[in-house]
Amino acid sequence: MYKDVTITINGEEYQEHIPVRLLLVDFIRDVAGLTGTHVGCTYEGVCGACTIQIDSEAVKSCLMLAVQADGHEVATVEGLAQDGKLHPLQEEFNEHHALQCGYCTPGILMNAEEFLKENPDPSEDEIREALIGNLCRCTGYVNIVTAIKSAAEKMA
Amino acid sequence: MTDTEAGKGWLGRKLKRKEDYRLTTGKGNFIGDIQLPGMLHLVFVRSLHAHAKIVNIDTSAAEELKGVVAVIAGKQLAEEILLMPQPIVVPNIPANHPTFGPLAIGKVKFHGEPVAAIVARDKYVAEDAAELVMVDYEMLPYVGDMEAALAPDATRVHEQFDDNIQYESSLTGGEEIADQEANDVRVAKIFEEADLVVKRRYRCHRCGVTPMEPRGVVADWDHAEGLSAWITTQRPHIDRLALSDILSIPAEQVRVMAPRDQGGAFGTKAPFYREPILICHMARKLGRPVRWIESREEHLMSISQERDQIHDLEIAARSDGRILALRDRIIADGGDGCEGVYWGYLMPFLGAVLLPSGYDIPNCDIKLKVAFTNKAVLSPARSFGSYPARFAMERAMHTVARELGLEPTAVQRMNLVTEFPYTTATGFNYDSGNFIKVLDNLVEKIDLTGFRREQEEARKQGRYLGIGFGLGAEASGMASEVLVQMENQPGYGAAMVRVDPRGKVQVCDGDCSQGQGHETTVAQVVAHEMGISPDDVKHSQGDTDNTPFGCGTIGARAGSYKLSAVAQACRHIKEKMSRIAAHDFSVSAKPEDFDFIDGEIIYRKDTNIRTTFAELAYRIVMTPLDLPEGEEAGLEHTAYFEAAMPMICFAAHAAIVEVDATTGQFEIKRYMTSEDMGRVINPQIVDGQITGGVVQGISNCIFEEFVYDDTGQQLTSTLENYKLATAADVPHVEVTHAPTPCPYTPLGSRGIGEGVPGPVPGALSNAVTDALEPLGVEITELPLRPNVIWKLIQQNRQAAE
Repeated sequence: MYKDVTITINGEEYQEHIPVRLLLVDFIRDVAGLTGTHVGCTYEGVCGACTIQIDSEAVKSCLMLAVQADGHEVATVEGLAQDGKLHPLQEEFNEHHALQCGYCTPGILMNAEEFLKENPDPSEDEIREALIGNLCRCTGYVNIVTAIKSAAEKMA
Repeated sequence: MTDTEAGKGWLGRKLKRKEDYRLTTGKGNFIGDIQLPGMLHLVFVRSLHAHAKIVNIDTSAAEELKGVVAVIAGKQLAEEILLMPQPIVVPNIPANHPTFGPLAIGKVKFHGEPVAAIVARDKYVAEDAAELVMVDYEMLPYVGDMEAALAPDATRVHEQFDDNIQYESSLTGGEEIADQEANDVRVAKIFEEADLVVKRRYRCHRCGVTPMEPRGVVADWDHAEGLSAWITTQRPHIDRLALSDILSIPAEQVRVMAPRDQGGAFGTKAPFYREPILICHMARKLGRPVRWIESREEHLMSISQERDQIHDLEIAARSDGRILALRDRIIADGGDGCEGVYWGYLMPFLGAVLLPSGYDIPNCDIKLKVAFTNKAVLSPARSFGSYPARFAMERAMHTVARELGLEPTAVQRMNLVTEFPYTTATGFNYDSGNFIKVLDNLVEKIDLTGFRREQEEARKQGRYLGIGFGLGAEASGMASEVLVQMENQPGYGAAMVRVDPRGKVQVCDGDCSQGQGHETTVAQVVAHEMGISPDDVKHSQGDTDNTPFGCGTIGARAGSYKLSAVAQACRHIKEKMSRIAAHDFSVSAKPEDFDFIDGEIIYRKDTNIRTTFAELAYRIVMTPLDLPEGEEAGLEHTAYFEAAMPMICFAAHAAIVEVDATTGQFEIKRYMTSEDMGRVINPQIVDGQITGGVVQGISNCIFEEFVYDDTGQQLTSTLENYKLATAADVPHVEVTHAPTPCPYTPLGSRGIGEGVPGPVPGALSNAVTDALEPLGVEITELPLRPNVIWKLIQQNRQAAE
């Protein structure tokens, strides 16, 4: 079964004829070709590598069908830098070595971007709580927490 | 970057990683991002049972599904390709290496073994078709307990062998049986006469270091060029040779490429697995590109399982705490043993070799048996084989100390190796270092004395605080001397360095990163050696077509071997540039009379005599006229670095915990490390390796466990029930250093990272044991969970009453 959808990703409109069972993460990666959004737990919603934003709310794109995003605004990591200028989170992740393999990073950035809007001055514990939906296997989280804290300070 | 920043001083600097821009902007290039025109998708049908005869496989319904291109099962495949083992991926160690193919033939040996495969135009359709494959099984008895598996009358996992013993040997006393027996008698006598003997059974559970990116392969076949395969791998050059052999394709027609970015590995991507064989074969057979992306369920069912060991360990000690002898009978559950390079037993083998750790214990009697069982084969996990061994050894050291009424760190300290080079009783060489400095640094920084006062106060209030220490000597890569025997491959570091006519430098490297930041550290070394900016260095890796043979990104080799080879190659090129500069300037100078600084080459005795690095590069590559006699054009060199002495780095970890004796819950209040990583290339990258390794170790120790039920059903094949630590589960890890530069590497560096999780279980379980000492609780098994601790508290209370 197929359906026509219009999904806006990072401000660009995609009008596509897609199978209704297509997962949103596969739409983003395979149809739109935006491969910054990753698959880590293979559609279990546990690892958070596929975290994107729909209408500015962070969600796991492996737990949604693409047709559910019809008519909505999707933001992915590719849209985080604006006009060639990196987002403070991207800069601080680099500054504080908050990534190693970088596989989980896009999902964490998309989650953290929403989190800092809701809580612009978070404590270390609050940052750690906010990250429970994103698994990282390389860093031990230490530098991710530092980078988010530092980005919050830069954005204040 | 300004010119004054360039030049000297690139080593030891917190240079921001070159990799990060692409990885934070969604521009990484991982295996799942590789698309080829007309690419097909392969999906495996995997066994539903742990041990069963395959009676029939009906693929007809799957074949009829629209969009399916091919369906294949084990018997047919066995007629098309060779089977494992292939000599290139068999160690030079006497052990049983079972025959197997990518798809099960005749019977299945673990829950999750590949039985058939579907190739389809669409991955959703391939999944549909996989569900239509009907396999009839006839159940066989499940062999799941490693000790029972070793009994002579146990059901055999592999009919080709007489029993389930995959590997059995003494790691001490030499090669000859008679010498080993004499050694055992000598050690037994020491035990009889010792002031104290501590004997315990330590058990470590099955867990590992599953990375965030599962495995994957994209293979393409060209009639003239042969096979091109992108594989998630830690050793593309070995993959190339193994694929060439097993698929009977001449080696020059096999090109293996590691994707530029890989989402972590930690050992899991080091073996030569069965799946890539089939993907590459199907691409050739169909003449079309084929892709397989492993699902997390497949990953957790078939790889990244390690650490499954039992240690019956004994220590003989003098009343002052000096260790006199060590005896251990180790059993490991190797699973079905079907895995190129490692075969399930190499992890416990190395764990047994490294058992004496950093302690000077000349009298050891260590024996290991590895059993075949109906479980997934053990595959490497960072702190390769050593995690259970470190747990057993450090727990035993703590127990010795407490039985003698001594502070555990005093006993650990008294027994550390102090003179180098040192060879362990198991034959492993330690090059250099200062172990006591590393431990003393930790004891001071964590303030052990202050903590003991705090602990005493807390106990008066009925609170249970504890401190635990875990130590460990980690191999900083391994020389050919070890790897030729252990993995049938060399151990050197290799790098090809090329200076282009614009004065930019390219480094071609046969290994491949999975997050270690090699693009950055390689650039720092080149910048340091050549006096140019790291921005002017490009690092290309992992393509077997244009890199020197790389031994793999394994066992913390980069800091010791790879970077040493890069430095050597740079020095070779610098000498040539200096010779030609001397000739052009008509000065009688030795190569060392020229300084390479800030993009310039300056004659030290007359600093007016100078040229830029770029000008001289152009002159040599592009205008090779009037060269000194015997000098060739061009500026490139491939260097191979072999260690004069196998390097190690030593680490000590400390944990402070508070246990709630009513529930068994415990909180890690502090976690601190102290390491000797020699001369640091990039401190931020080193610290990142340590914090990451510690948290993996904590996660293994407390949360992760592969669980098989009584029939061999694997119950932990999703990240919902194979739990990894989240940010909220773990403490802020404090990293400290106590370095001693390595005298055997050109830069003084030591590789670090692979062994970081090793000291964690000792530190944590010693801390919990220390906290609960008033209640008489002693931890001997992992995982370390509240229910287990609570039960131990209850047992001890009942016994006391």
